[in-house]
Amino acid sequence: MQVQPDIMVAPGTQPYLDQFKQLSDNLPGQGVDWLQSSRKNNLARFGKNGFPTQKDEDWRYTPLKPVTGKSFNLLSAPDFGVVPADVQSQPALKSISGLDCHRLVFVDGVLNMSMSDISGLDQNVSVRSLSAVLADDPGSIRDLLGSIVGESCHGFAALNGALHQDGLVVMLEQGAVLSKPLEVVYASNQELSLVQPRSLIVMGKGSKAQIIERTVSLSDSNSLLNSITEVMLDEQSELDYYLIQEQSRASYQVSGVWARQKRSSRFSCHTVTFGGGLVRNDLRSEMTGPGAHCDMLGVYSLSGKQHVDNHTTMIHGAAECTSNELYKGVLDERSRGVFHGRIKVEKDAQKTDAQQSNNTLLLSRDAEIDTKPQLEIYADDVKCSHGATIGQLDETSMFYLRSRGIDPEAARSMLTYAFVNDVLGQIKIEPLRDYLEAALGEQLIREQ
Amino acid sequence: MLTVKNLHASVDGKAILKGINLEVNPGEIHAIMGPNGSGKSTLANVLAGRDNYEVTSGEVIFQDQDLLEMEPEIRAREGVFLAFQYPVEIPGVSNLYLLKAAINSIKKHRGEEELDAMSFLKLIKEKAALVEMKQEFLYRAVNEGFSGGEKKRNEILQMALLEPHLSILDETDSGLDIDALKIVAHGVNTLRNENRSMLVVTHYQRLLDYIVPDYVHVLAHGQIIRSGDKSLALELEAKGYGWIEDHASAA
Repeated sequence: MQVQPDIMVAPGTQPYLDQFKQLSDNLPGQGVDWLQSSRKNNLARFGKNGFPTQKDEDWRYTPLKPVTGKSFNLLSAPDFGVVPADVQSQPALKSISGLDCHRLVFVDGVLNMSMSDISGLDQNVSVRSLSAVLADDPGSIRDLLGSIVGESCHGFAALNGALHQDGLVVMLEQGAVLSKPLEVVYASNQELSLVQPRSLIVMGKGSKAQIIERTVSLSDSNSLLNSITEVMLDEQSELDYYLIQEQSRASYQVSGVWARQKRSSRFSCHTVTFGGGLVRNDLRSEMTGPGAHCDMLGVYSLSGKQHVDNHTTMIHGAAECTSNELYKGVLDERSRGVFHGRIKVEKDAQKTDAQQSNNTLLLSRDAEIDTKPQLEIYADDVKCSHGATIGQLDETSMFYLRSRGIDPEAARSMLTYAFVNDVLGQIKIEPLRDYLEAALGEQLIREQ
Repeated sequence: MLTVKNLHASVDGKAILKGINLEVNPGEIHAIMGPNGSGKSTLANVLAGRDNYEVTSGEVIFQDQDLLEMEPEIRAREGVFLAFQYPVEIPGVSNLYLLKAAINSIKKHRGEEELDAMSFLKLIKEKAALVEMKQEFLYRAVNEGFSGGEKKRNEILQMALLEPHLSILDETDSGLDIDALKIVAHGVNTLRNENRSMLVVTHYQRLLDYIVPDYVHVLAHGQIIRSGDKSLALELEAKGYGWIEDHASAA
């Protein structure tokens, strides 16, 4: 394969252009012409436009220097070999207690079959790796893969488009129900590894599923996870999607979830961020059919120098759609949070109801939150509201608890926990909720 | 039990208490009465250790220890309890969770074994019955959406559970109708014994019909201007605070 040599390439992109030359023969989808041409188009755009910068309004509050200043290495299957046994027994890869689920584990972007189990899938449900689908039946996803992200996306999405590795393809036929949740774990291991999963979730008419995506680190390495998941919801389908981010603080993560919803479908996206040094979540839903509903809920609890940027885009493209966004964060020490919530109501999207709120608890003077609602409303009969609150722990509540004999540390974590607990409380998978409540509790105690 | 000597305290730099002297023995109930702004609530909060109240001079000895040296949670564990005038609503923390954390922190401090879930539930249900609190309130967030009376009953429930040596009731009667007042008073009276002392801070004599004090002190302008037995409260009720303040300034 030949890549046209570019004389002028955007800063920071050269290492990836080089890697494309070296590795493209080993990436999933060999011999699939449409995919190869899509990879090349993405690469060309990435080389030309490069990574986003803070001059770009959508990235204004997130300094990307730590990411763009390093050169991460994509690991491709043949180089990768076998995951050593000590990696397999890492606590980060343990299952969530009490959670009966299907499971797929990717280590540094490569599917590890020995740690995965998708036996006994329900009827009319298929869960496969992207590379397997591309090898057997690429035509089945030709019109789907990349169809939501399109060509006007930012540099990270273009980089994923050019150099994505394996990922997940979930397809539910009409009326199919995934009776157990599907857990997908992306683990980063090697120093400076670039992990780029690419996934596709196709929900047929009236189908239902719950999918948990967890990102974890197996070491304290500087790694970059840059993932894209496209979600297509046909009429009356329902998907609960959980993005659980627990990776090490040395790691970087840019996660894109791009959904498109038809009539009366329901999409719930929960983001829970405890880990990661720099995390950017791009969460988008475009409601193209009337009566669709989308929830985007998020919790983040940060300390040290962690930086988390939740960037949501809710597009009301049809009448009578409803959306609800609630993001709650607890920021300690020098951590920084960003919430940018864009709501666009198209001309024909009458009777839209869109709610958005971002509430932040600042536990330290040095912590910072930048919160920015962005409403673009082109219809005239709509209900849209947005709100943001920023506060400290209430002194009176602290005294009240202490006057009952409770330690200030315990009182502080009780109040902090209570602050975000209503968002965690909306998680429908009970073992997952228990797990996250305990993880949050532990984190708050550790930070004392 | 409690000795307050020449206590001065200020809030935001403004002197509120200007030399309080008080001696409370085990088993005694002392009522602190006085007009609005006299410093009653300040005294209650200073004793419980609230942050923004600054003690400028004087001392407070509680069970042979310097109370003012202790953090609020240590005071609570040593047996001081403040029933708040305005109990705080804490969304997201269940009443039950708070009560269990409180009793166990106190038990731990006393070197006693902490209660397991079963024995705690049994105990709390007993105590809830004492203040006629429905069990559903135990599972709700602390004071969230409680009526004024329910909040005050919740305070007495906490007091009944924690079994303090010294209870300070800060205007527990405010905002209560007569039925709620009786329930609260019944809870308090049940806890009364020869080892427990109480400071009952109130504006009105009404509460003292139900919680009968051994002593009544009248607080005005940051000082106790008069002390007597329960008949002093009745006299105040009949003649108003103006009478005693005039009396004090004339003396």
